[in-house]
Amino acid sequence: MTGWSRRSFLGAAALVAIHAAAPSGAEVLRRLDSDEEPPPHCRMLMRQVADLVIPDTDTPGAGAIGVGDFVLVGLAHGLEGTRLPPKAELAAAPSFAPYMRKDGSLDHAGWLEAKLGQDWLSQSPARREEILVALDAAAFKGDPTAAPWRAIKALILTGYYTSEVGGSQELNYELVPGRFDPKVPVKPDTRAYSSDWTAVDFG
Amino acid sequence: MMEKGSHFDAIVVGSGITGGWAAKELTEAGLKVLLIERGRKIEHQLDYETEMKAPWEMPFRGEGNADLYAREYPVQRLNRHFTEFTQGHFVNDAQNPYQTGPDTAFTWFRSYQLGGRSLTWGRQSYRWSDYDFGANKRDGHGTDWPIRYADLAPWYDKVEEFIGVSGAAEGLPQLPDGKFQPPFALNVVEQAVRERISANWPERRLTIGRTANLTQEKDGRGPCQSRSICARGCSYGAYFSTQSSTLPAAQATGNLTLITDAAVEKIDYDPKTRRVTGVRWIDSKTKTRYQATARLVFLNAGAFNSVHLLLNSASEALPGGLANSSGVLGTHIMDHANTLSAAAIMPGFEQWTTFGNRPTGVIIPRYRNMDAMDGAGHTRGFSFQGGALQSTWTAGKREAGIGADYKRHLQKPGPWRMVLVAFADCVPRATNRLTLDRTKVDANGIPQLHIDFAFGAEENAALAQAKADATEMLTKAGGHVMFGFDRPGPGGTAIHEMGGARMGHDPATSVLNKWSQAHDIANLFVTDGAQMASSACQNPSLTYMALTARAAAHAVSLLKSSAI
Repeated sequence: MTGWSRRSFLGAAALVAIHAAAPSGAEVLRRLDSDEEPPPHCRMLMRQVADLVIPDTDTPGAGAIGVGDFVLVGLAHGLEGTRLPPKAELAAAPSFAPYMRKDGSLDHAGWLEAKLGQDWLSQSPARREEILVALDAAAFKGDPTAAPWRAIKALILTGYYTSEVGGSQELNYELVPGRFDPKVPVKPDTRAYSSDWTAVDFG
Repeated sequence: MMEKGSHFDAIVVGSGITGGWAAKELTEAGLKVLLIERGRKIEHQLDYETEMKAPWEMPFRGEGNADLYAREYPVQRLNRHFTEFTQGHFVNDAQNPYQTGPDTAFTWFRSYQLGGRSLTWGRQSYRWSDYDFGANKRDGHGTDWPIRYADLAPWYDKVEEFIGVSGAAEGLPQLPDGKFQPPFALNVVEQAVRERISANWPERRLTIGRTANLTQEKDGRGPCQSRSICARGCSYGAYFSTQSSTLPAAQATGNLTLITDAAVEKIDYDPKTRRVTGVRWIDSKTKTRYQATARLVFLNAGAFNSVHLLLNSASEALPGGLANSSGVLGTHIMDHANTLSAAAIMPGFEQWTTFGNRPTGVIIPRYRNMDAMDGAGHTRGFSFQGGALQSTWTAGKREAGIGADYKRHLQKPGPWRMVLVAFADCVPRATNRLTLDRTKVDANGIPQLHIDFAFGAEENAALAQAKADATEMLTKAGGHVMFGFDRPGPGGTAIHEMGGARMGHDPATSVLNKWSQAHDIANLFVTDGAQMASSACQNPSLTYMALTARAAAHAVSLLKSSAI
């Protein structure tokens, strides 16, 4: 992740907008100057990670629809608090220090690549999943050295469930319900509504 | 643009919730009115740019650019209605600075545009009762209101019938019933909690939030579509805003002149006649200064900005500011002490969900310190708002898991939760006040507002009791309480900032008389939140509107009898 800086995403809003129209990464890259592109291996890693969190089922998974790139853009712009300084004791820890930016924030993508291991992408699918499951478990058990994963995972969920596929195929989407039904039976095929904004905000 | 020397019967400063009402009432009475708005023009329907967009059509999927928000919207981003969809309906904090005292934390949420905060408000619409109008007299905080519920009841009727308020009549003296459209329904959990609370505490009532969202078509406005994205703007006109309701009425009279991008800096005053004569403003785009004259001025800039304008209109004749012979201008500001008292998991309802997004929650009106003084360490009331909701995919951010099973888990409606958020009465205090910081100016060279504000023992005691009560109620209703708080958020959190130009009997201790009319200046009216002498513990906007309509009628009668 060396050489990938905040400046890399000065045009990030445009980048994400392009995602909406065309999730293809190649389309994104054509709109960026060559020195602003995240390195291909970084994009590949985040795509693979996102796809392990939300894989293909009866609907496409996160990898195929560009969630990895959304995560990189989100990290560049501080979504999920990722441009805020981590606790001082963590910032000085060996696993964090190499990835601290000048503004005091952590380069989450660089940290993740190191945390998973430099050869993670070349591991077998089963091994990749095993490593990620371990990181996820550690983060949610409160291991501070795994804590940044929680923000990355949150961005994967946001990237997926606010996409057209995640929001309107995996879940239901109805911008104009037209009525409020206070008591509806849950059936085996009931899917939540991504347009239930109260649930999204406060659930 | 305004011709030099333009003259009107009345000038209304501010086009938000009360400014729209003032413009409507005064124009319908036949007055030629100039309505001045500091922000940009937003046309109903045409300019609600994000209203129909899905998250995937937004650059940051509705989450917004956190980096930008940290730099330029550090306060506004804390508003629960602030999103990437709605950010254009809130001020840029960096461009609209204000100052606070060293011990003050105050989040001042603002919307500088045509319609003001009527576009972004929470729409909860409650009458105040005599427990509220009598509060200051009863416990000695602040000064007595010169009006009681009976003075305002017909004006509440008028306002509710015009704006459209949905709600359920409950017959409660502390939250008088109004002229309601049919209510939204309680969901299955809320209905059960209502019944269980009533069974344990007959004096406590959970009811649907009374909201200015139509459930029936009204005057060309469509009923609510249960989207609950109101702050984006609503092309159906289903919630009350200046754009959907009062502005079209005022424009239909042919008596309204509207200007936008016009920041009023001073009100002109003639010491010989002791009357205001007009206002001066700066065109925000060209920085050109203009003025107009009028027989009557209504201030509706929002509580703090109306006070700011009165202070900034100081002159050689009135060095303390306009209408400030009492010296209390700017003092006794309030906001509800607001916190999440309890959040609980509500088991037993997993087989049920809902369809559609109801644009309101529930309310449990005050029940403490009514006829018996049963508040522990406080003399006033608190009420709860909140509701029952299901979690969804965002709960996955707090859970371990990856893969297909995790994805299937997030596909289903999540567990039911219920939250009760307390709004506690805020005691009026002289030390909570607004002043001008003449060492710091805004982009127009106008001194910035300085806010000193702190809650005290009364509010802390009320919220402690609210937390205990909320925990007990949700537990007896079958919930498992996860957490709750007993300290208020920063001032401004409730977005009910009010006071600073309080109404009162005595010109020596108050700024306005019972008609929202300045004691000192007969042709000056302040009818937004600045006029409030106490805060009650329910949302104040409906009361501001009723007071505005009442004041406008009085002003018109004075004008027509040449008394002003």
